[in-house]
Amino acid sequence: MVTEFSLKSEIKNDCLLMQPIGYINNNGGETIFKEFLNHSKKGFKKVVIDLSKSNVINSIGISFLIEIIDKLNDEKGKLFFANTDPAIEKTFSIMGIYQFAQKASTVDEALNKMK
Amino acid sequence: MEVQNIIDRLSLQVRDLQENFNSLVNSKSINVLGKQFCRILSGTLLTTNVNLLKKDKKGGKWKEIYFSNPDCVSCTKHLSENNFLDMKFLNEGKIKIAVTVPLVDESFFGILIGKKLDKQPYSEFDKIALQMFILLLDHTYQSFLNQKREKELNFQLNHRILQLNSLIDTGIEISKLHKSKTLLDLTLERATALTNASKGRLKIFKGDKLISKIIFPKTASNKNLDEKQSKLKTDVTFDDFRYELTLFDKESRKGIIDFDLTDEVLLNAFARQVYTAMENEFLHKEALEKESIQKELSVAGAIQKKLLPESMPVISGYDIAGINIPSKEVGGDYYQTMELNDGRIALIIGDVAGKGVPASLLVSTLDACLAAYLDVQIPLSEMAVKINSIIYKASPLDKFITFFIAILEPKTGELDIINAGHNPIYLLRKKNKIEKIDAGGVAFGMFDMGLPFEGQKMKIKKGERLLLYTDGIPEAMNEKEDEYSDERLEAFFINKRPAKAETFIKNLVIDVRKHTGDTPQSDDITALYLIRK
Repeated sequence: MVTEFSLKSEIKNDCLLMQPIGYINNNGGETIFKEFLNHSKKGFKKVVIDLSKSNVINSIGISFLIEIIDKLNDEKGKLFFANTDPAIEKTFSIMGIYQFAQKASTVDEALNKMK
Repeated sequence: MEVQNIIDRLSLQVRDLQENFNSLVNSKSINVLGKQFCRILSGTLLTTNVNLLKKDKKGGKWKEIYFSNPDCVSCTKHLSENNFLDMKFLNEGKIKIAVTVPLVDESFFGILIGKKLDKQPYSEFDKIALQMFILLLDHTYQSFLNQKREKELNFQLNHRILQLNSLIDTGIEISKLHKSKTLLDLTLERATALTNASKGRLKIFKGDKLISKIIFPKTASNKNLDEKQSKLKTDVTFDDFRYELTLFDKESRKGIIDFDLTDEVLLNAFARQVYTAMENEFLHKEALEKESIQKELSVAGAIQKKLLPESMPVISGYDIAGINIPSKEVGGDYYQTMELNDGRIALIIGDVAGKGVPASLLVSTLDACLAAYLDVQIPLSEMAVKINSIIYKASPLDKFITFFIAILEPKTGELDIINAGHNPIYLLRKKNKIEKIDAGGVAFGMFDMGLPFEGQKMKIKKGERLLLYTDGIPEAMNEKEDEYSDERLEAFFINKRPAKAETFIKNLVIDVRKHTGDTPQSDDITALYLIRK
């Protein structure tokens, strides 16, 4: 079966770094959220989402990202989006994501700002 | 005293309520709200055993919000599903108070409270305080729901703004794209994401034949797509191609739902944008091609202009003028004067069948031939045979050149003439008599069988006039499709005899324009006029 979406994740400098690949729809959003929850239970409060391989997201996918933001806010955590496509950046601005999360040009920049 | 004590305590409770309402109403989740509430109640009732549960609807299960005592799970039997506040005071067991609070959204809170720290029974005051805090909880929950609804509304509103914004942005982006394939990929991607579809597909048909298919996401399976229930389709036709855009499986957090009117409007808007972008791309290509052709024609026109005389020769005892007005950027008419080595002047006029670049190329060939042969000064009839052969070989089957040449010996007025298929040239003799110089052979390029061209010799005397012209003048048409006509041209030639040749030419053009009016010029207008003074 050909997969439409995949997710890479790793821990770097005490941060959870996730890289979704493909269309972030219901399935994609849920996958990202579950991965976040798994690590959140272990105490990880710093999250970087690298969007270099995802340039399309629908509102269902966004709702999952908002849930991640809500949870991190409760725990005084931080979320960075890195390598965002200009179209996605505009989407996030309109949807108000950047009121609660931050953006960085690269993953390294995000990780540095987390320190 | 006791009354004063109660009043003081109540005042304190009211103040507590106000403060606690503010902290509860800012809770970010039900769990946080529950935890806060239980702590407030613990402090108010002086008990450590306060537990909060929630049931989403009648018949549902009680779910833990906040448990200070996990053993209370079994005590939910004391809770009810009544549509009114149900408060039970229990004597036995660990739970002393069981409260069911029906909420505005038909869900329920269940509150289970254990014994007081001092193990005393709950007083009337405690019961009043409890009721006040339950009221507080109810109001807080309503406020929480309103905030949630407000958040959802904001989300939906933002999503609508996003959809509109994306529609505009996509329109701008796809109008910039020059490759149709990328345009279609982008449209499919955006339409799928903005309608929350799980997949999108674009099929391209030429007639009934499917020639291409794009799926988004690219790795999505396209099996059984058409069997899906949740589906939305539109199509647009442009330039013999039909583009069918279909979206599948509209997503929501609760599962797959049907596409709605907004999605339909959005999809049709995208389809219109694609149509407009493709039309623009097509027109842009056409405009570029036209511009390119226009440039080439301009260059060809400029080159051709150089083939025509920049100025008329000054011939002692004569006045000469000429004009060429092409009907397009590049014409098929030709006229020229050439001074030969022996002092004779060649007066030449020619007309290529057809117009535009192909005709002008033949004109160039003719000009080159004349320049070469006139210098050598071979007999005109021999020259005509040679030029005919060259033109025949150089021209396509449907192209030929009508040609007239008169070589003037200025001192004597003798004219050595060849008319190869051209319209009769006029020589105005004295007493208003026109002599027509007819063709002595077929037009150049029609046949190459070595047929001779019959030359003529004439003489132009003092006071006489010679008019060379192309058929663009007598055949010039007005809006009623009436031609200027040979008769009118002859009459003009006879009657209008100004002192200067240039005046004649100018007036002839004015007269032709007077006849044609606003009708666009359909053929080149060329004339050469000679007066022997």
